[in-house]
Amino acid sequence: MSVLEVKNLTHTYSGNTPFVNDAVSNVSFTVEKGEILGIIGHTGSGKSTLVQHLNGLLKPTDGQVLFSGEDIWENPKEIRKIRSKVGLVFQYPEYQLFEETVYADIAFGPKNMGLDGDELDSRIKEICRIVGVKPEYMEKSPFDLSGGEKRRVAIAGVMAMRPEVIVFDEPTAGLDPKGRENVIKIIKDYREATGATVIIISHSMEDMAVLADKLLVMNKGNLCMFDTVEKVFSRGNELRAIGLNVPIVTRVFAELKAMGIDVNENIFTVEAAVNELKRIRAGDGNA
Amino acid sequence: MDNLIEVKNVTYEYTDEETVHTAVKNLSLNIKKGSFTVILGHNGSGKSTLAKMLNGLNKPTLGDILVDGINTKDEANELEVRRKVGMVFQNPDNQLVASIVEEDVAFGPENLGLEPSVIRQRVDEALKAVDMYEFRKSTPHRLSGGQKQRIAIAGIIAMQPLCLVLDEPTAMLDPKGRAEIVSTLIKLNHEKGITVILITHYMEEAEKADRVVVMNDGEIISDGAPSEIFKNVEQLKAVGLDVPQTTELLYNLQKNGFSVSTNVISIKEAACEIASALHSEEK
Repeated sequence: MSVLEVKNLTHTYSGNTPFVNDAVSNVSFTVEKGEILGIIGHTGSGKSTLVQHLNGLLKPTDGQVLFSGEDIWENPKEIRKIRSKVGLVFQYPEYQLFEETVYADIAFGPKNMGLDGDELDSRIKEICRIVGVKPEYMEKSPFDLSGGEKRRVAIAGVMAMRPEVIVFDEPTAGLDPKGRENVIKIIKDYREATGATVIIISHSMEDMAVLADKLLVMNKGNLCMFDTVEKVFSRGNELRAIGLNVPIVTRVFAELKAMGIDVNENIFTVEAAVNELKRIRAGDGNA
Repeated sequence: MDNLIEVKNVTYEYTDEETVHTAVKNLSLNIKKGSFTVILGHNGSGKSTLAKMLNGLNKPTLGDILVDGINTKDEANELEVRRKVGMVFQNPDNQLVASIVEEDVAFGPENLGLEPSVIRQRVDEALKAVDMYEFRKSTPHRLSGGQKQRIAIAGIIAMQPLCLVLDEPTAMLDPKGRAEIVSTLIKLNHEKGITVILITHYMEEAEKADRVVVMNDGEIISDGAPSEIFKNVEQLKAVGLDVPQTTELLYNLQKNGFSVSTNVISIKEAACEIASALHSEEK
């Protein structure tokens, strides 16, 4: 069942001026309930502009965004309602922390949705358990936390609204490897616990290979691929032509193939690579 | 005496709400002229604090830093130190000041009070060095992230520093942008002899460096050639770091009984290593 449907969406910046520029042009796709959709594309390809339409932060110049079959702009006065159904975690979300305590910061979103008392409290505690914000942090100032912890709190603030769809714009940018791993785990755990649909923008092909079910590829404002991870990463040359690439392990396997070794080239993660090479080793032993 | 930078027993402390934090602890490090060094470490390991001390933005609490023989502690040397060591930061949008590319690159040399003809020459040379000369009349906000970051690098190069210190310059870039920055740095290092110190969280960017320095809790915990450093997969993981995906693959193969060595990093070498392991299995 599709939860989001984007139909012929175009977004023009600086319309009616000499600088008119289609940041997104005629893009259509659907997002199925419960899937993880990855969005990749060069810097300036329109990824961030596109996702800001999904919760009504931007209004399409042309085209529609449907949530559960209904146009989110049907009644513009009600547009705020979509924000609790589709949550958006911006780039460097830790810059948006502002409350005096971690607890108050996480509570801000759900409070604005009308939650209070025990309901609010149990919602916050539940989210903190899922994303691993320690109880002893609750009364601390968010500004006293490390960079990775701040980001965790900022993400928890959006998750606490329990959106049906949660969109992350480069959630791992600027984090060290351990921090990246933590954020990926939080996203996976949240989806497992809530069954939410997840949309992620990332420049890391390696992270996408581990996380995503499907990939949407943007190039200069146009959607140029929308398919399973396997299908998209099998088009390495086209990806390179538009400033992207395939995961490093996939490139190692292309090299093995070029050396005349009969490997399956559709290998995108280290785990799959090890299994494939074990299979080959076993096959050689039997031959 | 071919050290460009000498960090001698340096400690850096800062105070917040009466608690004293030590970001860098009694650290010593020599950087050779013309070398390419990558510094790795988790967030909060002291890398950026160290980087900012190299051009005098931060001053050591204890110990000394000599840049080309000059002590960064001495206020009188401040401008000279900044001229010798240029810094590039994470977000290119925060580093560009003008609305035309060549004017942006000219900003530094103009402030050095150079003759207009000299400025012209330096701007052209700097833009050519980062392969952005053809964009000299463009406006920075119309460029890609990688291009903007190369303009930021050109702005520093135009001041003709001896050393470039880059603090996560690729964190916000796409794969092509990252590759552009790394190849630009290699070119500047090889062709112009500029000493490069690169801080990054992308392990594969360390592949082409002469030397990798790993920091943890304000101290250097290992220091050596990239292949030597990445061999210690478990030690790196223990301090919140990772290894390039090639090394990760070889390490996992080794654990599964393949006779591969983990001290290669490039894709080609990794493939050769795997191929020869498969061949020896056959025999």
